[in-house]
Amino acid sequence: MMEIGARNEAARLDAVFAALADPTRRAIIERLSLSAARVTEVAEPFAMSLNAVSKHIRVLEASGVVARRRQGRDHILSINTRSLDEIDGWIERTRRYWEQRLDAMERLLRELEKDGKSGPRDRKHGLR
Amino acid sequence: MDCGDTTGPIVQVRRRVRASADQIFDLWTKPDLMVRWMSPFPGAVDCKASCDLRPGGAFSFVMSSEQSSREVSGTYVQVDRPRKLVFTWIGPLTNDVNTLVTVELNPHGDETDLVLTHERLPTSAIVEGHTRGWGIILDHLLDAASSDF
Repeated sequence: MMEIGARNEAARLDAVFAALADPTRRAIIERLSLSAARVTEVAEPFAMSLNAVSKHIRVLEASGVVARRRQGRDHILSINTRSLDEIDGWIERTRRYWEQRLDAMERLLRELEKDGKSGPRDRKHGLR
Repeated sequence: MDCGDTTGPIVQVRRRVRASADQIFDLWTKPDLMVRWMSPFPGAVDCKASCDLRPGGAFSFVMSSEQSSREVSGTYVQVDRPRKLVFTWIGPLTNDVNTLVTVELNPHGDETDLVLTHERLPTSAIVEGHTRGWGIILDHLLDAASSDF
């Protein structure tokens, strides 16, 4: 169960990272982070066809980063903040992990240093 | 491997360490030293490390207690003693997805600046200024990049 959950999470994260790996898609997200918007509004500032922008939007939808709902004849796009929170979570976990490992690495350096100093001349046993 | 000028979603930790680059490089690459600090589990955990320190060579780090066993493993991509070590990393922290870790050691008098970069593969540019105003993620990246100095 846990394994499958972790794998799903990994697959989702990879989809999100891949979706964010493109400048146009990042610009779309930046636009949507200001407010939800119609597809045509989102496409407007780009020097590319509506069709080309729509392709990027579909990648963002497939990754779960962007959600689409219909309002009459309009398609309204908005950001799914939960998917961004997942990336945030990965970054935070990883960072904490390495901070703690580097703390341990420095503790070991101090131990080794003490070992070295308490050599033959001044032998002390035991490490704190 | 495409890991040159791309900047993916990365975690970067910097720290100035009171030791020489050689000493630190040893801690990362000698199994008898690796087992003394790399395990994130406190208490009675049996650690076994092995490494074939050359580009393309593999390393493995196994932590086992009575209840369970966990393994982190990977392949060295670049071994440039004592300045730079690049290796792939797969384990519980990465949800068993392949990632890339770069450890750079820059001597600074008696001390050494250690910069550790951990990024997911395969990804490409995410941080190019386009993410300005985009909130939490970039904040964390900047936060991670500027801490501990």
